[in-house]
Amino acid sequence: MTLTLERPQPGQADAVALTPRRSQRRARPEKVAAGLTLGVLVTASVVSLISVDISLPHIIASWSNATRFFDRVGVISFPAPGELLYLTALTVGLVLLGTLFAAVFSVPLAWLAAANTSPGRGWMVFARFLGVAIRAVPDVVLAMVFVLMFSLGTLPGILAIGIHSIGMISKMFADAIEQIDDGPRLAIRAAGATRLQEFFSGVLPQVLPSWVATVLHRNDINLRGSVILGYVGVAGLGLEMSYAFKSLNYSLGLGIAVVIFALCVVMEIVSSAVRTVMLGFAPTRHGIGDRLLRRIGVIGVSADASRRPWAYARIRNAVWGALAALIVIGSIWICDIKWGDILTFWSYLPETAAKFWPPSFGSYDAPVMLAAMGETIAIALAATILTLLASIMIGSLAARNVAPNPRVRAGFRLVLVTIRGIPEIILAIVLIVVTGLGTQAGTIALAIGGIGLLGKLLADSLEEVRPGPEQALKAAGATGLQVYAGATAPQGMKALIGHSFYMLDTNIRAATILGLVGGGGVGYYLLNAGQGSRYDLVTTIVLMIFVTVVMVEGLAVWMRRVFR
Amino acid sequence: MPGLTQPPQAITGPAVAAGPVIAVRDITKTFGETTALHDVSLTIARGEIVVLLGLSGSGKSTLLRHLDGLDRPDTGTVTVLDAPVSRLHGRPLRALRGQVGFVFQQFELVGPLTVLENVLAGALFQMRGPRLGLWGYRRELKLAALGHLDRVGLLTHAYQRADTLSGGQQQRVGIARALMQNPRILLADEPVASLDPESSAQVMALIREIAIDSGLTVVCSLHQVDLALSWGDRIVGLRRGEVVLDTATQGLSKQNMMEIYGRVTTSTAELGAIDTELGTAPDEPDEQGEPDEQGELDLQTFSSARDNRR
Repeated sequence: MTLTLERPQPGQADAVALTPRRSQRRARPEKVAAGLTLGVLVTASVVSLISVDISLPHIIASWSNATRFFDRVGVISFPAPGELLYLTALTVGLVLLGTLFAAVFSVPLAWLAAANTSPGRGWMVFARFLGVAIRAVPDVVLAMVFVLMFSLGTLPGILAIGIHSIGMISKMFADAIEQIDDGPRLAIRAAGATRLQEFFSGVLPQVLPSWVATVLHRNDINLRGSVILGYVGVAGLGLEMSYAFKSLNYSLGLGIAVVIFALCVVMEIVSSAVRTVMLGFAPTRHGIGDRLLRRIGVIGVSADASRRPWAYARIRNAVWGALAALIVIGSIWICDIKWGDILTFWSYLPETAAKFWPPSFGSYDAPVMLAAMGETIAIALAATILTLLASIMIGSLAARNVAPNPRVRAGFRLVLVTIRGIPEIILAIVLIVVTGLGTQAGTIALAIGGIGLLGKLLADSLEEVRPGPEQALKAAGATGLQVYAGATAPQGMKALIGHSFYMLDTNIRAATILGLVGGGGVGYYLLNAGQGSRYDLVTTIVLMIFVTVVMVEGLAVWMRRVFR
Repeated sequence: MPGLTQPPQAITGPAVAAGPVIAVRDITKTFGETTALHDVSLTIARGEIVVLLGLSGSGKSTLLRHLDGLDRPDTGTVTVLDAPVSRLHGRPLRALRGQVGFVFQQFELVGPLTVLENVLAGALFQMRGPRLGLWGYRRELKLAALGHLDRVGLLTHAYQRADTLSGGQQQRVGIARALMQNPRILLADEPVASLDPESSAQVMALIREIAIDSGLTVVCSLHQVDLALSWGDRIVGLRRGEVVLDTATQGLSKQNMMEIYGRVTTSTAELGAIDTELGTAPDEPDEQGEPDEQGELDLQTFSSARDNRR
């Protein structure tokens, strides 16, 4: 290091060299604090892991429960084909409409939240915060409230999914707007267009593919999450499954669980196929329409020229559009929405609000509730650290620049896609029912489910690191493992921290919901309070969840900034 | 295409005498620490074809953006078509922008849209509310847009996605979009800086042809001295946000060209000498007969000298 420094006098060299070194080594206090926080979190996760009592012997012992369970239940059974078809269509339709609802309302919010379209900084902060706040309220809670206000049916489910999803969709929409090429938008502004015209002509065409991908992605998440809505009374496969388990008809319950699992995998495959087709579309300039126009030659400005020819791309777009419209109409038809409810529900609003306010601890006292919330956080932390360990291995091997050969990469990518298709909640229910365990089963279910997401995010991030340092190490004769440890992993570290916080964030919400199916934590009290009409207690629990989620989100934002 | 192009006689009409189309008075604009424009004043009469000449960072783009109200000056005033652009907001500003066409260096077409939709975007200022797809536009507008595409030679590409075109073609669509506004002024910001020489020549010829046919006032920024000399009627040189040169191109020699090049690149201290020589430049026809080789040689030695200085 001293070599690069100029030395005015030989005698002063050491003093000159030491000063800049020390100032380089001294980390910013903020970075120290963030590092300490990270250390505390990891320690807390390990402690949680021990407190949740996940150990290998324990898990092995629980398998004897499983064999005994299957001896008693016998084979799994399914609902009658006609009913099964109806329930499946209803579930898909409900989820689709909910997601669509969210997509529509996310557009104005995203417009306000995106830095390049927002009318002002105040609006931007407001819209971003609104998104976070909406995200922090679990959809189950929303469904609970809406079930109270509407007659039982599909509308509570649609609204719960719809409102909850606005949080994520509006954020992704806004991020997409911020990533567009701003030139064309400003060119349209330069031609004297209004803000609205600018948005429709300059922004929308650019963001549409990414928006559709976001909506499809969210639709998959919502389908997986819809199961749990059945537990609070939203129609569909989830409701039937909860009935089956409550009436101790385990074979039917498991049968429906299998159906939901298959449905989720199919949906995942369909939506990823649609995404690929849409994003991979490259215009050829050799379409039927182009060739036709070229053969005609310069056609002059005739009446026909003002009509767009039915070129291949246009036909394909029209077919896709018609198909999408049909699916939406079918969804509305099958959901049999009672539109009148939208008008009448306002009259229930004050009455319902009065039930939920003021919050109280009901028949429990504060320490019990705080302990329950603590258990939920412990489950989330334990699941996150398990997911992290597994994802570092699987995710790394699924990255092109780490996997020893393409076949290994493809294999691990397949593992990740399969895991992503499994709804965590189904996994939790099955584990809880089959092994008879509570908290442990819930944690393991969350941990496995998380691998699908974190592993994929990590693999993608590793593939995006700069290849230069890797090549440099390779050129210096390093082994594959040395290249990974010396160049790939250090570069992917920041992304890993960011993704892990995202995972923790997701897991805290998911851990809440686990309690509803017997996975321990605050969710158990939430379900009890809801079923026992103790809505003031529901409010308390929701506020606790809200505060926790917002805190984790804030922590994540801070970490990302410090470790940028 | 009837009514798409304004009759040429407009140039010689009575409006010529009615004051300048563009009047910039003492504008200064800073972005944070850097001063983009410093005390710039400029008047442009109707029908003039003006080149803004300068290196990148000299303030050409910023000046052009001020003329369309995309930037606002810190001090000073900008008057375009008798409207105080620097003070306009909302509808009056949009109405003015509608009369001023803008052609960009990076074309700035909306890639996923068809060529025709991109051209039609130039008519948005006449309409209320947003448009999505082609069916939102009236038939007359569509026909007019096709007419403009025919004018720039791209009629057969009307229904193609804009991002499938080559750079030169995209820039011609950009011109068609500006024409769609039926503008009275055309601003072009380095319109050929991203194009190959052949497309550059086509695009520059097209802009000049359209300008003369339609009696447009054109302000075009360029950084190539030879192109500026052969193309424009008047050259305004900018260097570090200041106007360092304002001269007619007619009768300028290769020698003058070198001086102009020096003027927009060299430091202020060296400017004095050039100033006195250049002041007489337009009235010196005797240097016109200078052979081309000589000029090219000069240019080469000049640029190598400049490289050495760095």
